[in-house]
Amino acid sequence: MNLSYTDEQNLLRDSVSKFCSSDYDFETRMKSVDSESGHNPEHWKLFAELGWLAIPFSEELGGLDGDNVDLSLVFEEFGKSIIVEPYLANVVLAGGVLKRGDLENKTQILEELISGTKQISLANYEPNKGYNLDNVDCEIGSDGVVNGTKNTVLNAPNADFFLVFGRQGSGYAFALIPKDAPGLEIVGYKTYDGFVSGDLKLNKCKAEAVFSSTNALEILDETIQEAIVCICSEAIGAMEKCYKLTIEYTQQREQFGQSLSKFQALQHRMVDMFMETEFTKSFLLKVLATEDASERTKLIYGLKNQVAKAGKKVGEEAVQLHGGMGVTQEMSVGHYLKRLMVISHLFGSSDYFLDKYIDS
Amino acid sequence: MDLNFSKEDLAFRDEVKEFLDKEYPKHIKQKMENGDELSREEIVEWHKCVAKKGWMGHSWPVEHGGTGWDATKVYIYLRELALAGCPTFVPFGLQMVAPVIWTFGSDEQKKKFLPRILNFDDWWCQGYSEPGSGSDLASLKCKAVREGDEYVINGQKTWTTLGQHADWIFVLVRTDDSGKKQEGITFILVDMKTPGVEVKPIITIDGDHEVNEVWFDNVRVPAENVVGEEGQGWTYAKFLLFHERSSIAGAPQMRRAINRLKNKAKNVYHGSEPLCEDKNFLSKVAQFELDLDALEMTELRGLAAMREGKSPGAESSLLKIKGTELQQRISTLAVEVSGHDAMPYGGPYGFSDVEVAATKDAQLSAPKYLNFRKVTIYGGTNEIQKNIIAKAVLGI
Repeated sequence: MNLSYTDEQNLLRDSVSKFCSSDYDFETRMKSVDSESGHNPEHWKLFAELGWLAIPFSEELGGLDGDNVDLSLVFEEFGKSIIVEPYLANVVLAGGVLKRGDLENKTQILEELISGTKQISLANYEPNKGYNLDNVDCEIGSDGVVNGTKNTVLNAPNADFFLVFGRQGSGYAFALIPKDAPGLEIVGYKTYDGFVSGDLKLNKCKAEAVFSSTNALEILDETIQEAIVCICSEAIGAMEKCYKLTIEYTQQREQFGQSLSKFQALQHRMVDMFMETEFTKSFLLKVLATEDASERTKLIYGLKNQVAKAGKKVGEEAVQLHGGMGVTQEMSVGHYLKRLMVISHLFGSSDYFLDKYIDS
Repeated sequence: MDLNFSKEDLAFRDEVKEFLDKEYPKHIKQKMENGDELSREEIVEWHKCVAKKGWMGHSWPVEHGGTGWDATKVYIYLRELALAGCPTFVPFGLQMVAPVIWTFGSDEQKKKFLPRILNFDDWWCQGYSEPGSGSDLASLKCKAVREGDEYVINGQKTWTTLGQHADWIFVLVRTDDSGKKQEGITFILVDMKTPGVEVKPIITIDGDHEVNEVWFDNVRVPAENVVGEEGQGWTYAKFLLFHERSSIAGAPQMRRAINRLKNKAKNVYHGSEPLCEDKNFLSKVAQFELDLDALEMTELRGLAAMREGKSPGAESSLLKIKGTELQQRISTLAVEVSGHDAMPYGGPYGFSDVEVAATKDAQLSAPKYLNFRKVTIYGGTNEIQKNIIAKAVLGI
């Protein structure tokens, strides 16, 4: 048994952590959030130069052959600064489908993704269809014509291409659709955590290519599982920051002639926040260290259930212990809560994953 | 003991229903239904509509224009209003400063302010918290110095809800800092149009402008605007807080909200069955409803005590804690029900410029959840309420 990170992994963590702490303070983050595209293109370029966009791809696809541990630690560091750059959407979701799929020219497309010159979004969820991945109405015809509606397509307004998941015959497939394809309407918006997202309306939209028609659902499932590990890692980073911010604030803030951190009732609350974070981190390590695929899947469902509850609790407590200041836009702590709430429900709620855990 | 309504009560309920049916302005009803923001004019219009009927003083003594209803009638009245989705009353005049004025104010103040509050001619706001004085309210520093027939106020208040709409503000000021911090506080009424009063918005995490900073720069206020005695403001402030806290619980609004959520769950899918058949969801709803029943009965007990002439005391802290916890629970449940559809954010009142696939109801669930983080903080944090209960109710 070995629960430590390798030297290489520690170097990667240091490099991400250095960027987050020196080039990504809260003000910089909010500038990205408030900008038109919802992220800073300079940062994206830098991520590409540092090789971060290449992490989870094999060497033959032009990647660094990184594994889930590498992704996890990148996301944990991202979470500490609630980075809004569209890493999840591009690298983990769209990249995850492409690397597993059989799209003919995928090497070329991945090259553009890895170099940061093109952005790609995965479009699978549909309005009021819930979290079951196979519950979609979108149709991909045998002639490659796509009809349907997709929503909360992460990073949609910035995407050059979409990977649209839909039914094909009695199975499923992905359709590669460029952003300017006739019959495609994109409604872009911000989500409440400050990220960008969008709806796609596909009306007789001709796909550039259709791929993975034999195992699209399996590919989607594996990709979402990897994404769950990523956002759970991100949540753990955010939780750690939440309790640290809270300790700092309660030490500075004086009421009744002493700092708030001296009140035992509040100390216990902060201890609880810390403990939630640590135990969730332990669970994450269990997932990362489990090799058996079906055991691992079950544990990923369990992780999402744990993170959904713990992240929400820690975020809410952080806001509460900041008092009135905690609910203002100008303080960072409320923005951590928003991201933790989105993560808590993204890909499925705590109850949904508890059921999946029980059933698997 | 009897939980059934009498014939007379039922007739009264019909009267309230009929009033709402006929007089509740349709355009306001529509906006409330959609979750749209009401303008200042519309909020005033709603209050005036109730005032015209003579029903604004449901918690007031008859001598000052109160309705003279017993606890059951007040309960029926507030419940019907909430079930019809009416806007809640702006409490700062009606439920907060008015009891202070009729209990501690001069005859002139009663004559000048109470009828205008009852008729919603004046919009009041609250000048209590300061940046350095939140939970420890008595440490406040906003200063008032007497000069002849006037007080000159300098300092800053914060978290002033809807201060941007207000005509008047009641302010706790320090008139003496030589003794204990609770001494030397004075309760004073200030016209917001007085030179030197400035309102600055605070934007909250839901993106809304609801609270404000209020700054006082050499604001000159007639000495006759002091309520009661100079230096006794802390007593009045606490009296007001008891009234504030007993009006926060909001059980009828939650009854409506949980019913709507149950209804919505019939057509929502998370997994393969509709949410209304999901065991986890049903258990959350049931637990919520049980807690709500208990809250409602506790509220009723308080109302009954108030009708017997008892002022809501430290017990109001129970209602504040439980009521706000439940408000947060249901706002959380609403986000959960909405799933991914809760993510699109078009501002605190939804999208006005683009058409998104998620229902408006779902879109509004997250801003509402975020807005409701405040309820366990305002009116004295729930942590402070527990201190009050420990000290004043349990005597420990």
